Amino acid sequence: MLPSEENPTPLVRLNRLNPHADFPLYAKLEWMNPFGSVKDRAAWALLRDLEERGELANGRGLVEPTSGNTGISLAAMARARGHRLLAVVPNKVPLEKKVLLKIAGADLEVISDELCPAPGLGDGSINLAKTHAKASAHKYAMPNQYENSKNVEAHYRTTGPEIWKQTEGKITHLFVSLGTCGTVTGTAKFLREKNPKIKIIAVQPTEGHDVPGLRNISQLGVSKLFDSSLVDDIIEVDFHLAYTRALDLCQNEGLLAGPSSGLILEGALEIVARDKSGFGVMIFPDNIFKYTSNMIKHIPGLGSGTQP
Amino acid sequence: MANYSHPEVLVETDWVKQNLGKPGIKLIEIDVDTKGYDAGHIPGAVGFNWQTQLQDQLRRDIISEEAFEKLLGDAGISPSDTVVLYGDNNNWFAAYGFWLFKIYGHKDVRLMNGGRVKWLNEPDKELTTERPKIVSTQYRASGPDLSLRVMLSEVLRAQPGKTCNLVDVRSPDEFTGKVIAPPGMTETAQRGGHIPGAKGIPWSTAVGPDGTFKSVDELRTIYVDQKGVDPKKETIAYCRIGERSSHTWFVLKYLLGLSNVRNYDGSWTEYGSIVAAPIEK
Repeated sequence: MLPSEENPTPLVRLNRLNPHADFPLYAKLEWMNPFGSVKDRAAWALLRDLEERGELANGRGLVEPTSGNTGISLAAMARARGHRLLAVVPNKVPLEKKVLLKIAGADLEVISDELCPAPGLGDGSINLAKTHAKASAHKYAMPNQYENSKNVEAHYRTTGPEIWKQTEGKITHLFVSLGTCGTVTGTAKFLREKNPKIKIIAVQPTEGHDVPGLRNISQLGVSKLFDSSLVDDIIEVDFHLAYTRALDLCQNEGLLAGPSSGLILEGALEIVARDKSGFGVMIFPDNIFKYTSNMIKHIPGLGSGTQP
Repeated sequence: MANYSHPEVLVETDWVKQNLGKPGIKLIEIDVDTKGYDAGHIPGAVGFNWQTQLQDQLRRDIISEEAFEKLLGDAGISPSDTVVLYGDNNNWFAAYGFWLFKIYGHKDVRLMNGGRVKWLNEPDKELTTERPKIVSTQYRASGPDLSLRVMLSEVLRAQPGKTCNLVDVRSPDEFTGKVIAPPGMTETAQRGGHIPGAKGIPWSTAVGPDGTFKSVDELRTIYVDQKGVDPKKETIAYCRIGERSSHTWFVLKYLLGLSNVRNYDGSWTEYGSIVAAPIEK
């Protein structure tokens, strides 16, 4: 079920939202992963690594900080293989994701959001997960998606080769968002080895944003997986556009894409207008279903008319 | 230690490790979210909840002297103990606790440099979920020393730049009034902006990437040379609810050694709601 070069997630062309015929944009639909997001790739690699190293013997479970997607993938896979996951979740994660985590079988610990974190000090959910892993090491192993090279390897092994094959080597621009940075680092590393000229564009939300799973560059200190040598441009996009662009994708392209995909699209359109010609691939991390409450918050009118 | 004016009020994580369990040395973790303490704390540390244990639960105020005495007595602390404070959110709430301990006259109180996140990330430092066994005491406070605290009436009378330095330690977006409070915070004010004449110097200016305080030379360069804090004048620090400003209060008073530094704990949630109070954006 998990994607690979032989069994890739779909790559589809945008037909209506991209006006530039000389610069087609393709979306890689990562919500077609079995548990609904790009995070299946990393979660599987992290879980298998812990198992192979014997870290999950004798009923020892996992603890992981997550804004939802990694947790959902990890919980579902872990439960299927007989392990438990404690997911440490920031409160601003939408209710849908919190409930999905429980449905997927995770134990949930929700913490109040960051007040005003200093760069480099990690955030509350990461530090709380680390605290559990340290104080209760007999109960919990922590995969730590923010620091674990298996996260990068998963994308080097699957996402990169899939894109190369699906575009028949024609890709000129890769558009990604930044969270743990496993996707950008692993995929970009593979693609750059195939063609060093491929431009890697990271799209990030403005500071103080409300786009679950993503990080502004000022928050990137928490990821040990970010490799700036693999990124040509970092585009900052007003985070509200993540929501309006997601709605555009849903209503004009038939793609039920989530807000991080909307953000990536907005960044990609900026580059398309700048570079004029090329062959772009956008990695769309997940679909809209988990974000209805966020959408209501950010799209005026969406919540009206939903009651009799 | 880095030539601070009062190096005795700061200890390193290694010092804490070497002194774990020694009689007369007590550890207290002060968190705004005590899930951290519950999940794991330094062996022997007592946990205080900033919201429910250091704040008066009826009126908006620091806890009373009697409540402070009961809190410390129940935590097994004696006035002669060396108390080391540390906590979440980069020691903001621990710094607030330090300020409170000083108001109620505890002689030997210290801050652990870098807070719980530094201890957490050092491989040789242990955490435990086990709560310490406490023998309660009859703690007697001396004080209160209210010279460490500024009330609203004095802030309204102050003439920043002329008679005093006013330091706003909130984030740039709070200082300019773009936001009234960081996203998701419940304590807020009616208006955004800052007190006229205040210098915006975010609390994080005082720490390095690992959350420990910068050297005294760096601090002097930043606060005095670059930002123009005049050491000869009284200094008032404020933020939103008085915890980040405790952190800067600690830096200015104990590390830089400015003679008269006070914390305005009413801060923006009070000032920004006062009818007709002047505001700058």
